[in-house]
Amino acid sequence: MAKIDLSNISHTYNPLDPKPTYALNPFSMTWENGMRYAILGPSGCGKTTMLNIVSGLVRPSKGEILFDETPVTDLRTEDRNIAQVFQFPVIYNTMTVYDNLAFPLRCREFTKEKIEERVKAVSDTLNLSSFLNSPARKLTADQKQLISLGRGLVREDVAAVLMDEPLTVIDPDLKFRLRRNLKEINEQYKTTLVYVTHDQNEAMTFAENIIVMDQGEIVQVGLPKDLFEKPKTTFVGYFIGSPAMNIFHSTVSSDHEVKINDTTIKTNSNLGSLKDKNVKLGIRSEFIELAEKERSNTVKIKLTRVEDFGNFKLLTGKMGDLVVKSKVEREKSIPDGELNLYFPPEKCCVYSDEKLV
Amino acid sequence: MIKLYTFLKYFFITFWTVFVVAPFLWAVSTSFKDFQSVNSKVTYIPWLDFEPTLEGWRVLIKSPAKGGVDIVEPYFNSIFVTCTASLISIVLGTLAAYALSRFTFKAGFVRNNDITFFFISQRIMPPIVLSIPFFIFLSTIGLLDSLLGLVVVYIVLLMPIAVWIMVDFFNRVPKELDETALIDGCNPYQAFYKVVLPNSIPGLIVAGMFCIIFGWIDFFFAFILTFTEVQLLPVKVVALNSSITPWWSLSASALVSVAPLIIVAFIVERYLSKGNLSGALK
Repeated sequence: MAKIDLSNISHTYNPLDPKPTYALNPFSMTWENGMRYAILGPSGCGKTTMLNIVSGLVRPSKGEILFDETPVTDLRTEDRNIAQVFQFPVIYNTMTVYDNLAFPLRCREFTKEKIEERVKAVSDTLNLSSFLNSPARKLTADQKQLISLGRGLVREDVAAVLMDEPLTVIDPDLKFRLRRNLKEINEQYKTTLVYVTHDQNEAMTFAENIIVMDQGEIVQVGLPKDLFEKPKTTFVGYFIGSPAMNIFHSTVSSDHEVKINDTTIKTNSNLGSLKDKNVKLGIRSEFIELAEKERSNTVKIKLTRVEDFGNFKLLTGKMGDLVVKSKVEREKSIPDGELNLYFPPEKCCVYSDEKLV
Repeated sequence: MIKLYTFLKYFFITFWTVFVVAPFLWAVSTSFKDFQSVNSKVTYIPWLDFEPTLEGWRVLIKSPAKGGVDIVEPYFNSIFVTCTASLISIVLGTLAAYALSRFTFKAGFVRNNDITFFFISQRIMPPIVLSIPFFIFLSTIGLLDSLLGLVVVYIVLLMPIAVWIMVDFFNRVPKELDETALIDGCNPYQAFYKVVLPNSIPGLIVAGMFCIIFGWIDFFFAFILTFTEVQLLPVKVVALNSSITPWWSLSASALVSVAPLIIVAFIVERYLSKGNLSGALK
């Protein structure tokens, strides 16, 4: 277990190119000991590259990695004491399940008793105890992935366990249980867990801290609540939450107000320096309320669709050519035709050049 | 319709079995015949059609002084040259193939695929093209007409097969397997022999089988590069022929020559039927 510092890290896969394209743009970050992190972003945004840099499979083009203040950038993977689980099961086909789980400990010359104790503990946690003597290749895909996961968790002293979308091949019920198990392991052993995913629900339910990435850039690091309520960029607003954040083109009309079409919306943002500039107003569909009549901070929409999701209703309406989505309680009766929706000022986010004001 | 299909299936299987087995049966039968039985009339069944004799087989172990041809020494020479060259080719070829599969090489316009093609191109060339350079080379280093010289030449001939098969095989072994081994604490060499190699046993067996077959059946280089000191089995078998073709001893020598390959085929087939070759990496 260690504190991991990534200092000015950047990486390109074509360094000899006169104009290299960067898979990871320069960034610095610290992963505190014993925390759970999720790296969230669309495919190809640099999540896996970041993991591979930490585990040593990829040497960063620039920057330095420190484990507990000790530089490890030039250290080989096998000397870093990191565990990594890949998206698809990687198992040693020629070995039994027991030998697979014991392999990382044998490589590090643990005693036989310690190996037995750790393999038993991990196989109990992952429900693999009854398969320990079976050839690993005979197991199903999700059991194989459990073995991969087990090999990652079998060492108690790892600096961090890096997981690259590890639950993709696991069925939903088991996925839920495993996420809970991982949390328990983290709480019990204080193992730093880093979990790469493009599934926001997975990230939100698993991590204490979420790192959102886009096109090789870290766009926001924060608690799930912050990412949801105050996305720092419109990308985070779009990417986190279902449905995505409502984003409207608007113009700043006063220090705290913006105009969408002809409707003035009050916000808590200080917009003095942006007077008459074009900005974007963002608000989550969860925060938009149904208003009985027109009043301040309400917009009039023409209801186009009501979808019942069981635990809530999703209203879709049009305000001129703008689409507004709002989540309301299932029990609420929805009048046909025109509706007034209230935008609470404290929940409105204003974005200038796609960044939160 | 199903009956017709079943009939055609069994008809084809029977036809093919006869087609494959008949020459062997013919050789077995002929190896126990003498001059009279071969040349007088067509005979098939021993003791009924003809009186079996071991003369054809005795010739193979009798010394030339006693009118035999003595294929025992060439036989062991062939085993030694084939096994040694195959083993060395597999070891070197596997290492080369692993490097070609896992690392990117750049030298001018040459890339990994070009290097692999260079290996294979050694087999594409007609053997006659290589014969003179090999002859001069062995003659220069004093290994002409020697077992060691043949081993050197056979390594050159067999290694491309090993490289070709193993590159393809390693390419199908996911790179994550090596990476996982490194993460688990192996150094690159341990990752190769503890993890990648055991997963590649099916490929090694196929490559080994091809090396043994091609090494064992080679006549051309064994004929060009040896004279009196050393002889390999194919050359000796051909030397059996004379103005009167001794079909009985030729048949016996053919059976003896093909026996090791049949044993190899049986071993590999047993391995195949266990399902160890197919789907080992899924």
